[in-house]
Amino acid sequence: MSEAENRLNRRLFLHIPTVFLVIFFVLPLIALVVLSFWQTENYKIVREWTAMNYVTLATEPAYFIFFIRSLFMAIFVSVFSVVVSWPIAFFIVRHGGRYKLILSLLLAVPFLSGEVLRLIALQGMLGPTGLVNGVLLKLGAAPLRFIMYSNSATFIALVYLYLPMVVTTVYLSLLNFDFRLASAASACGANRFRIFSEIVWPLNLSGTIVGFLLCFIPTLSAALAPRFLGGPNGVLYGMSIAQQFGESGTWALGAAMGVVLFLFSMLVLGVFSLGIDLRRTGFTGMGRQ
Amino acid sequence: MNQSQNGAEAPYIRIANISRQYGQVRALHDLSIDIDKHEFIAILGPSGSGKSTLLRLIAGLDRPTAGRIFFDGVDVTDLPPHKRGIGMVFQEFLLFPHRTVRENLAFPLRMTNQPPQMILERLDWAEAILSLNGLMDRYPNQLSGGQQQRVALGRGLVTHPTLLLLDEPLANLDRELRNEMEVEIRRYQKQLGIPFVYVTHNQEEALSMSDRVAVINGGKLEALGERQLIYDHPPTPFVARFVGKSTRFDGAFDAASKKVDLQRYNYSFPYEEVAERKGNARVEVFVKNERFELLPSRSGSAGIPCTVADVVLRGPFVEYILETEADERIIAVQPKREEPLALGTKLSLSWNPSQCHVFPAGR
Ligand SMILES: Nc1ncnc2c1ncn2[C@@H]1O[C@H](COP(=O)(O)OP(=O)(O)OP(=O)(O)O)[C@@H](O)[C@H]1O
Ligand SMILES: [Mg+2]
Repeated sequence: MSEAENRLNRRLFLHIPTVFLVIFFVLPLIALVVLSFWQTENYKIVREWTAMNYVTLATEPAYFIFFIRSLFMAIFVSVFSVVVSWPIAFFIVRHGGRYKLILSLLLAVPFLSGEVLRLIALQGMLGPTGLVNGVLLKLGAAPLRFIMYSNSATFIALVYLYLPMVVTTVYLSLLNFDFRLASAASACGANRFRIFSEIVWPLNLSGTIVGFLLCFIPTLSAALAPRFLGGPNGVLYGMSIAQQFGESGTWALGAAMGVVLFLFSMLVLGVFSLGIDLRRTGFTGMGRQ
Repeated sequence: MNQSQNGAEAPYIRIANISRQYGQVRALHDLSIDIDKHEFIAILGPSGSGKSTLLRLIAGLDRPTAGRIFFDGVDVTDLPPHKRGIGMVFQEFLLFPHRTVRENLAFPLRMTNQPPQMILERLDWAEAILSLNGLMDRYPNQLSGGQQQRVALGRGLVTHPTLLLLDEPLANLDRELRNEMEVEIRRYQKQLGIPFVYVTHNQEEALSMSDRVAVINGGKLEALGERQLIYDHPPTPFVARFVGKSTRFDGAFDAASKKVDLQRYNYSFPYEEVAERKGNARVEVFVKNERFELLPSRSGSAGIPCTVADVVLRGPFVEYILETEADERIIAVQPKREEPLALGTKLSLSWNPSQCHVFPAGR
């Protein structure tokens, strides 16, 4: 292939994703930013430049509470998912044998149904007359109040929704990990705990961070789960955004909330991606570049 | 065959009747080796013969299905690797990619909880002995193969283990570097005075470095002995074929005249006794390539007539590729003389009967 042709090809390949990103990502984002500096009155957009929306966000404590609640929810859900994912993924990779592929496909089964459908199913499980409490009532026991329309219910739902993502990511990371490195550490005198903390964990940290983020970012903006299961004290930031665009018709304020969420998510991504260095992972193990 | 020098005393490392079965595959079968304190032992065998399995068992990375392993009289069969005090060098190096050379070398020291002062001393020692100056702060992917090799070796050596296990550590290196490293590794072994168990499928490597050679084939111990002994007196046809470069002839032993007649050539040589069989028997004859005697062809001479088909110069040696009348090619290695034999020279090939190895055929 000639040098010029090569360059042309490279440009083509670079430009296709660029065009894609501009159309589907950058343009809507600009629209969102512009809208956030306008106002909405009586379900109409007023095209006057103002920072009022951001002032409202900064001064109205409700939004701050929603945001903090979302943040803690996202942290708890993601950390919990990572902690649970590791043993599951580890078990499949180490002991899955010839069922490895099947087991990993099973992880993806919940993705086959829509999010709303899965939430409604959960509602049926966790509600006051749902499966869990229904059975407890039948047995004459007290129903579990904390899973009825509460933040706990939202937590359970979000874990249920995003855990498969995290397990799959950690699974793929461990699948690519060269477990002979663990043998090498063992021959160097490391016990199980230190093999894990010094070799297995750091070399799969990048994969784990990716899994964490794949859970954290959507959880931070979760709107549907708290709506179906959150109850009166369960309003989350993402749900509030949805309300601005829906019932209350305050689109501009919603846009400002969206921009804040976007900037915060980017900040989180940026900070975490500092911890990802693919050259120092097991992916390029054995010292090859 | 126990060649332990201190006779009655328990050997430093004793591997007693170990077997390892993987499902249907018998990777090792009833294998016993005793290793002395200052010994360099090579485990030699073809691919898939169970060499790595043996090493993993000694290291504790795997458990035998039967048999026991003793270090200094203590049964370590059920101990995990980190309680055995061994060092190990892997064929694939397996350096930790997220750690610098310094951290890789310090790793076994930290894992065995050495004091910081000691760690620094040993790092300096390893840096000097393995000439790693200037490389200590690099990551493994910034090193050449030979440099990675030296780091891997250093990581096995820094703790001054009771035993160093090496699994084909030179297989990934080019010839030049390999020869250099062979000398180095042997030097470290003598310097440290700990046993090295060195796995290889390369017989030259085994012979050049070790004190004793254990030949394994299909998971069984074929031979164990001083390298010179294994080379000069191979106990089985497999060893004769595998150790050293030799040529094989089919023949028949005539009990009456006490002679071996070659099947395809009009050549016979006196031979005292073929073990285990009485009377006439078919035999295999192995002659080491450097033990052929080449004489100018004269009518009536006793040897196998052949012509020089090619001449390969190998430094101080010359390899003559000889073509026989039976259309076989035989390689004869001779010390280099002033003027090597010309192509097409007619020769007569023979050997000293006491220098060849004769085994009953079909064993
Ligand atoms: N984990 C395993 N499961 C099943 N079979 C195995 C396993 N490990 C080794 N084997 C088999 O045991 C036999 C010996 O393997 P081993 O790795 O010890 O050979 P080797 O002598 O080191 O060969 P090479 O020179 O190619 O490294 C082989 O037939 C191999 O297929
Ligand atoms: Mg091997």
